[in-house]
Amino acid sequence: MYEEPYRWVEAVGNRRQYLDGQFVQGSPVVGVTCDQGILLMTMSKGTPKLYEIYDRLAFGGMGHPADLERLRFTLLEMAHVEGFNRSASDVTGGRLVKYGMAPVVKQAFEEVLKAPFIVKILLAELSQKSGKDGFLTINYDGVFEEKSQYAVLAATPSVEQRMMEYLRQQSSRSLKEAVDVAIRTWAVGDQAQRQTYETKGNHDDAKGNSDQSVMDSQTLFGHVRQCMTEKALECALLDRHMAGTSKYRTLGSREFETLLPEDLREALT
Amino acid sequence: MQGDLYQLLKDQGYVLGIAGQAGVGQTLTMATTILAFKYRDGVLVAGDRRATAGNMVMYDRTDKVLEIDRYSVMAIAGVPATAYEMARILEHSFKYYRRTQLQELSFEGKLRALSKLLKENVPAALAGTGAVVPIFAGYDPEQETAKIYFYDILGAEFEGVEYAVSGSGSPTIRGILHYLNTWGEQPLGAMPEEQATIQALRLLTSAAEFDSATGGVNREVGLYPVVKLITSNGVTTMTDPHLSSLFESSVSKGR
Repeated sequence: MYEEPYRWVEAVGNRRQYLDGQFVQGSPVVGVTCDQGILLMTMSKGTPKLYEIYDRLAFGGMGHPADLERLRFTLLEMAHVEGFNRSASDVTGGRLVKYGMAPVVKQAFEEVLKAPFIVKILLAELSQKSGKDGFLTINYDGVFEEKSQYAVLAATPSVEQRMMEYLRQQSSRSLKEAVDVAIRTWAVGDQAQRQTYETKGNHDDAKGNSDQSVMDSQTLFGHVRQCMTEKALECALLDRHMAGTSKYRTLGSREFETLLPEDLREALT
Repeated sequence: MQGDLYQLLKDQGYVLGIAGQAGVGQTLTMATTILAFKYRDGVLVAGDRRATAGNMVMYDRTDKVLEIDRYSVMAIAGVPATAYEMARILEHSFKYYRRTQLQELSFEGKLRALSKLLKENVPAALAGTGAVVPIFAGYDPEQETAKIYFYDILGAEFEGVEYAVSGSGSPTIRGILHYLNTWGEQPLGAMPEEQATIQALRLLTSAAEFDSATGGVNREVGLYPVVKLITSNGVTTMTDPHLSSLFESSVSKGR
């Protein structure tokens, strides 16, 4: 029944509408660069959402855990086979996403008789030289974008836009500042997503609600504190100064004690 | 099997060792004297730098003590082409396991991975084109103890309770290690880091004295053995200036 072009376009449109609604209750992901490397931050309930892919590549995701796992394994396989057959320097985020991941995700999205991947992915890549670190994001339809300095994942494009707008007004040189900025940006995104879900149903946009969000730090930290009662703060760092070839590490509770803004330290205990 | 990179590579057509016959008149590159012993803080692994093909010295800067991951080291004796390939497979496999399974491979799992590679390499080893007799040593964070294992070319695994040696110069130093450990001022396992490093330099210098395939220290060009220490903090490589200073003060005796 999808042989006719019109039916196919309609089916893809329906699928887009369905997928847009799948992320509204998900947790946004924030990536920011700093002197020490690249910080990825999100909040998660049980299953982690940030992972190591290769020596200088980290992964953050939103969506269905099973789909995220499948695509994480695809990335891991591609990266390690390439790294073994060629060299670690030939494993780049750009090649993995453009020639490996994006076509697979796009194909699944357009094959209307099969299930699409319910995923949004952020890949952070630490460069050999400071200042050239980058990000790649992939949407559920296979569309990918390259970004520098910072990148985000959120339920809808308008929420992502608001988070990016907020990030543009911040600066983060040290790791401590990066943690602070990432947490506040996450709160901006999560608040916007909740408003979307509560006021307009779960497959509409946050457009028009921007005035209702309060962007001052205290309110944002208040929101995070509230979330911390049921979710755990998750931070991963591609650490430029780490010894050895693998640069990925997660930030543990001991580091949080010194890195977290004071307003949030109490919520840790 | 989940998290098995080697199987994935094999599924894609990768073959480790090919059991060819060494061509007439061709002499294979080999390498040489390696040792490992437990000392007070962990385990020390050392190797000379020479690779030979028959009577010819192929290379004098070979690194035979290879860091596989943060807590384990493989020292190689035998055909370097195969040994380096095995080290590469192990290094990538351990990383792949950690990243896919979100936990470190156990020390026993690492030993098993090396045994499997050696067993698959048996045809090449018996044909004379790929014999490798490695030492695998490391620190097991789960059991909080240092461990040493050595192998024969068929992949049989033996635990070196206090020390292990391999390569053409090993018969010379095996006796010295036994003597030192039994009647020395203190057993190897009680030696502090500096004393252990001095002993490693002396042992490799002795091996070079009696085995032409083992390279000694060449002070003129600043060439020293590779010495790595594995403790609860991970693998550390001794720097050449430090080895040079220990060699001058405690090994050369004004020679």
